Amino acid sequence: MSESPPAVVETHQLTKTYKGVQALESLDLVVQRNSIFGFLGPNGAGKTTTIKLLLGLIRPTAGTASVFGMDIVRESVDIRARVGYLPQEPHFYEHMSARQTLRFAARFFFKGPEKAIEERVEEMLHLVDLDEKADRPIKTFSGGERQRLGIAQAQVNYPDLLILDEPAASLDPIGRRDVLEVMSRLRKYTTVFYSTHILDDVQRVSDTVVILDKGSLVAQGPIEDLLAGGEGAVYIVHLRGDVEAARRQVQAQPWVTRLHAGEHAGETAWQVSVSDQEAAEAQLLKLLVNGPVLVTEFRRKQYELEDIFMQVVQGGQDVRQ
Amino acid sequence: MSGNSAFVMVTERGWRRGLGNLLSNEFAAWWKTKLWWIQCLIWGGIIGFMLGAIIFGSPDFALDEALFIYSIFAGLFPAVAVVIVMQDAIVGEKQEGTAAWVLSKPVSRPAFILSKFAANSVGVLATMVVFPGIIAFAMLSLAAKAPLDLSRFLPALGVIFLSHLFYLALTLMLGTLFRGRGPVIGISLGFLFLQQYLIGMLPALKYALPWTLVIPLNNQNDAIVPALLTGQPPYSLIPLAAIAIEIVVFVWIALVRFEREEF
Repeated sequence: MSESPPAVVETHQLTKTYKGVQALESLDLVVQRNSIFGFLGPNGAGKTTTIKLLLGLIRPTAGTASVFGMDIVRESVDIRARVGYLPQEPHFYEHMSARQTLRFAARFFFKGPEKAIEERVEEMLHLVDLDEKADRPIKTFSGGERQRLGIAQAQVNYPDLLILDEPAASLDPIGRRDVLEVMSRLRKYTTVFYSTHILDDVQRVSDTVVILDKGSLVAQGPIEDLLAGGEGAVYIVHLRGDVEAARRQVQAQPWVTRLHAGEHAGETAWQVSVSDQEAAEAQLLKLLVNGPVLVTEFRRKQYELEDIFMQVVQGGQDVRQ
Repeated sequence: MSGNSAFVMVTERGWRRGLGNLLSNEFAAWWKTKLWWIQCLIWGGIIGFMLGAIIFGSPDFALDEALFIYSIFAGLFPAVAVVIVMQDAIVGEKQEGTAAWVLSKPVSRPAFILSKFAANSVGVLATMVVFPGIIAFAMLSLAAKAPLDLSRFLPALGVIFLSHLFYLALTLMLGTLFRGRGPVIGISLGFLFLQQYLIGMLPALKYALPWTLVIPLNNQNDAIVPALLTGQPPYSLIPLAAIAIEIVVFVWIALVRFEREEF
């Protein structure tokens, strides 16, 4: 029996209350090593609260959590020695340059040697394309440049866990693409835990997703499971001919849970919900092709993350995996 | 990515974690910016101008009177600057979000507070006590046509520094207790100027408040620094011990409060 590798982050009933307001309620979370973990939710859902709890910047009201097996309250400093963090709105000392800021950040982890620290600083400046502006004071930086500096300082120690709070929020499309590329590249070396409200980004790079709403977890699972939908598989079928006979035949199958018929470009369009995906894949198309209809399109419905998000956040539906 | 094998890793644990780096940063904020020479210019200028006016402005110059005035100027007015410099040290960092950023690194919270206290203490000592003190010593020695007695002048500078340290620790503590600059600067400056009235209402408070370290109540022997400078015995040494204890208590409260702060 093979043992699964220890989780990087684990929370148990983690709760945070601010003056009677529940910011986070009984969160149970497991983040596996080398995953890109997308933490999704509308503003005020509790994403930043969770991140701050993991970093020891705030204390839990109830529940426990560990990072690398270390307790977030008692061993917070040791946890932060292995973590890189990009805050939602990065704030640095305005009089410092980007180079000085990275040097300052690096010295919390490394005593020396000087040459290696300077090389690491150069590498980070290059990574986020701030080489040219390395010696300008930060007070002259744009929002995007600050964000890039934030990403650089978060990685200066090559962390085992990179926590990014809305890393692409203030970036233009090219900056966003670059950040997502960096995250994908880092997967080999580190675990990335990042919060966002940009669903497209999550769908592009994450392998596991958690959706929070009003401080509570409403969905959690591998991205492909979430995108497959919470109600089981759905097949899109476009057809022409004697559809009524075909419909009766399909609806008679025990694995068909629902058949919704509509029209699309002069053809009949079905959405067939099934409870047994294997049976559907083996039999559904065969059933139709052998019948009195012409099948012009047949595919499994792919959900967009936005569909899932709206479903669980606005519909209040719990689709925990 | 080549990993971290080329580095010597930080090994400090407990409250010392991050202290060295924070201290370097805080010292740099004093000595690698214009702060140090602005403070030197202000306090050296004020003390020099004031003593110059006394020494050269009056034909019947009296050394004791000049030493007495020096005690008041060097003891009271830089305390205002101490409050202004320190009010930003904690509250400014809390408001601007830099404290949260620094504390997201492997840094102990006591290290954050102690680095502020230590680096600012040294900055205040050098620019508001020692530098204007050297100017005062030189001018008064020239005027007296003989060097002042260092065995009296240096302890007086020490007591002036103790007085400034009180306001520094008070402002540091208030910075951990409040989120806005208003209460921190208001309470500190209010206390600075109102304590003479408090002592008026309850005279025993002169042993516990820093006012009589540098400023006399009725005659110049009522305060420790003027007495030391003029070779008189101080009225009591209790205020020195009391203020030193209060400084320790303020720093301790700051450490405890900051440990509970949420960012």
